[in-house]
Amino acid sequence: MDFGLSEKELALKEEIRRFAQAELPADWRRTTLIDWECPDFEFEMSISRKLAQKGWLVMSWPEEYGGRGASVMEQTIYEMELAYWGIPGAWMGISGTQWVGPCLMLFGTEQQRRQHLPLIASGDKDGVWCTCYSEPNAGSDFANLQTRAVRDGDDYVINGQKVWTSAAHRSRWCWLAARTDPNAAKKHRGISIFIVDMTSPGVTVNPILNYYGRHHFNEVFFDNVRVPASDLVGEENKGWYHLMQALVFERRSMAPTTYGGFKRLLEELVEYATHTEHQGQPLSQNPAVRARLADLAVELEVLKMFAFQLAWCISQGQIPAYESSRNKIASDEAMKRMALIGAELLGIYSQVDPDSEWAKLRGAIQGAYLGFPGHAIAAGTAEIEKSIMAQFKLGLPKSY
Amino acid sequence: MDFSFTEEQDMLRTLARGFLAEQCPKARVRDMDRDEKGFDPHLWRSMAELGWLGLVLPEEYGGMGGSFIDLAVLMEEMGRNIVPGPFFSTMAFGALPLLEYGSSEQRSRFLPPVARGEAIWTLALAESSGSCKASEVRLRAVAEGSSHALYGDKLFVAGAHIADYMLVAARTGEGAGPEDGVTLFVVEAGQPGMKIEAIPTMGGDRQYRVSFEGAAVSAGCILGELGQGWVVVEFALQRAAVLKAAEMSGACQAVLDMSSAYARERVQFDRPIGSFQAIQHKLADMLIDVEAVQYLVYQAAWGISSGSPSPWQISAAKAKANEAYQRVCIDGISTHGAIGYTMDHDIGLYYRRVKAAEFTAGDTDFHREVIATELGL
Repeated sequence: MDFGLSEKELALKEEIRRFAQAELPADWRRTTLIDWECPDFEFEMSISRKLAQKGWLVMSWPEEYGGRGASVMEQTIYEMELAYWGIPGAWMGISGTQWVGPCLMLFGTEQQRRQHLPLIASGDKDGVWCTCYSEPNAGSDFANLQTRAVRDGDDYVINGQKVWTSAAHRSRWCWLAARTDPNAAKKHRGISIFIVDMTSPGVTVNPILNYYGRHHFNEVFFDNVRVPASDLVGEENKGWYHLMQALVFERRSMAPTTYGGFKRLLEELVEYATHTEHQGQPLSQNPAVRARLADLAVELEVLKMFAFQLAWCISQGQIPAYESSRNKIASDEAMKRMALIGAELLGIYSQVDPDSEWAKLRGAIQGAYLGFPGHAIAAGTAEIEKSIMAQFKLGLPKSY
Repeated sequence: MDFSFTEEQDMLRTLARGFLAEQCPKARVRDMDRDEKGFDPHLWRSMAELGWLGLVLPEEYGGMGGSFIDLAVLMEEMGRNIVPGPFFSTMAFGALPLLEYGSSEQRSRFLPPVARGEAIWTLALAESSGSCKASEVRLRAVAEGSSHALYGDKLFVAGAHIADYMLVAARTGEGAGPEDGVTLFVVEAGQPGMKIEAIPTMGGDRQYRVSFEGAAVSAGCILGELGQGWVVVEFALQRAAVLKAAEMSGACQAVLDMSSAYARERVQFDRPIGSFQAIQHKLADMLIDVEAVQYLVYQAAWGISSGSPSPWQISAAKAKANEAYQRVCIDGISTHGAIGYTMDHDIGLYYRRVKAAEFTAGDTDFHREVIATELGL
């Protein structure tokens, strides 16, 4: 056993710290910590290109595709640090860097790889992707998706509606799950994956505002959208199995990013407690406050170990069966506790609009408070993830 | 980073699991609950023969030269089987602090009998408040020539009835901080001026009040320096916290295993209750708790083993174990339904031991306070 970081890993951490200090304004706002979203899209993409130039944006990819062959462990540390410093630019194209690219390497065609991997690796706007999975009647029951792709000559014709599509309004490309065989014996067997150019005729993106007025996700309509058959990814009707792989990639990055953001928030709360007087003494002297912050520190430690353990499994060539579900649940629970305890510490100021001058800690706690219920739903609810753990780790019958 | 155990550690685990299942089945655990001594000398001798009592001791003292991680692996297996007896206290409050702080004379006098299974050690620290803070050490040690005489009471001393030696934290002076003036004495048990009285506990383990009424300690029996014993206590408590958390980790895993097995077998409404999500989600929460404890224990044990113990990581492991062991037992019992509430079922054996484990080597508040200080609060 060895839970230390190597010199190379420590050097990477340090390099990212220097990057954050050089590239971000001194009063860099908290929004990226929680939403992974930056109000200034141009600034965000400029950082994205700089991350690409550093060789970090797709660091774990092979060099021939624009990466630097970094280990999963380095990738994990990079994600922790990005989130800790609130570095924007890595999350807008997250579909591309985290799962589209790795999936194309696994089961894309040579032409798809040559066309898309360098674009994703460049950090340019044309390399920004969104992911169209959910539909009005396909949420947790994702295999129930109804969007149709019908072969017509050299093309497929796509019709249907997607929903909760993050970043569709920023994306040039879409990673789309659609039904190619409506008569398959089981509904998950008739699904395929397509690459769709979001500028194609017939694609309409409508914003959906979340309950605090942010535009993060969208609904996307496909009205007779023609996609060349060469943009089918992997085998026709085998999309479900490819998607399960994509979801493993997606869920892996959650614990490291939550860890990084959580660590930053905990440090800020410690700072706040030290400098805030309450009933004649600093909050930091209040035993209840000390106990709550210590509890958060324990959760932080658990999250770190879970994140590294999953990365280590993958680095050993293992295929994680339940660990990414475990990490997803632990991340969401940790963020929820952080938000609720943080809000308790802010007291009456916890209600202040996060964007207001009145907000403590630049609105970070309100960001977490408003954000955690939504983040907990994305990429699988706790209920679904727990059922997966029960089935695949504890050997209990499938229950959904 | 490396999450794997060595081949030797895997072998140790396999061996320990098999040996304990055979030599210390639950029937034996129950016997020990009722036994006057609560301790099986035959099992103790077998453990010594396997080399477990000298696992972390160097060969010169008759040990095997193993690492702290090896010991944590063994503690997990002891916890899985809730093995009664003084193994934990002899390691945490005998072997480890003696090895680190004992004079060469103390080491060669006290360590070989530990490795041979001929000496049982324990710690007498807590007093009336039950806390393991330096400020609560009030037991007086009065200098009488080159020796000391002890006056006062210690509470919740584990295995005082079978211990050969006790580490006793006593006050020999006052200083700037509560740590100053605490001296740690090695006291031979059963000598004149000492009385023990059982404090019956729900765990069926054996804990005692030890009253000192002038028991004498000779000059050679101070561990560490006069008036500076707290650093030894802290050293021992840190190791004890990780070993106890490892034991709790094994116990948590056992409770999860028996609960998920029961959920697979027990049929109601014509199907296994484990097919219901209300049961599945409870078991998934237990699984997350169990793995959280495991990895925190491994991390803390690695820190100690590699020579850079982290108070934060040690306290995180014990605080999490305290919380998780209780929760896992409660949810495990509710998964079992009424059968889990009976004397006949094993799960209650684990639940009844929760509090003893929680208050050994620092309760949750104690460890939270360590972490709060580490956080800079």
